[in-house]
Amino acid sequence: MSLEQVTKPDQPVIDDEAMLVRVQREDFSIDEELRRVRARSKRIGGIAIFLGTARDRSKGKDVDGITFEHYEGMAQKKLREIRERALNDFGIIELLILHRYGEIGIGDNIVLIIAGAEHRAEAFQACKWAIDELKQITPIWKLEHTPDGEVWVEEHP
Amino acid sequence: MVTVRLFGMTKMLAGNQGTLSLALHDGKRVKDLVAVIEAAYPKIGELLQKKKVLVSVNQDIAHEDLEVRDGDEIALLPPFAGGSDGC
Repeated sequence: MSLEQVTKPDQPVIDDEAMLVRVQREDFSIDEELRRVRARSKRIGGIAIFLGTARDRSKGKDVDGITFEHYEGMAQKKLREIRERALNDFGIIELLILHRYGEIGIGDNIVLIIAGAEHRAEAFQACKWAIDELKQITPIWKLEHTPDGEVWVEEHP
Repeated sequence: MVTVRLFGMTKMLAGNQGTLSLALHDGKRVKDLVAVIEAAYPKIGELLQKKKVLVSVNQDIAHEDLEVRDGDEIALLPPFAGGSDGC
């Protein structure tokens, strides 16, 4: 019997935990990532999603594009820490964190957080905490391309 | 010799070098490493003094008294700006 015959297409795919915390160059599908979180548990009854996208203005100046640089290894380590703390501290069922690096066009996806919980309150709280914490402790840097040149962004309001 | 990885604005301030190879003669603590960097790259030194740039050892933020060992993974971390700010 081949592997294809063993794996039924309608069975939920149980992903490796590594897929729930990723730093990648490629764009992502929100539907696909949402499916990934929902497949983790049937107890999930509330899901909060945060999607960060690239704006064309920053501090009153035009931005043509953004480049994200990350510290490979440490960035993933910090995101795994955020997921673990969110799971422990907010009583949620699952948390997915995904951040892109490399050149990002205006309007394109940058970062995705999906928090799955039994109820909405924990999902909203964990999702907000996770994106705020990501900005504080994750070694990811943003270079904005403007008509006046390139600027490394320091603040993370 | 220790190798120090650079990112973002610290890389730019070091002439776009991704790493620095530095010899530590006077002490092997993080503060000794900072002194060597200050001498060679004053602008990065200034940011280290203001704590705008942090030193990490083995992927954790390091205290200035931490001893650096052979094979340690050392990096200079400018201020983080993950996500899209203001969002």
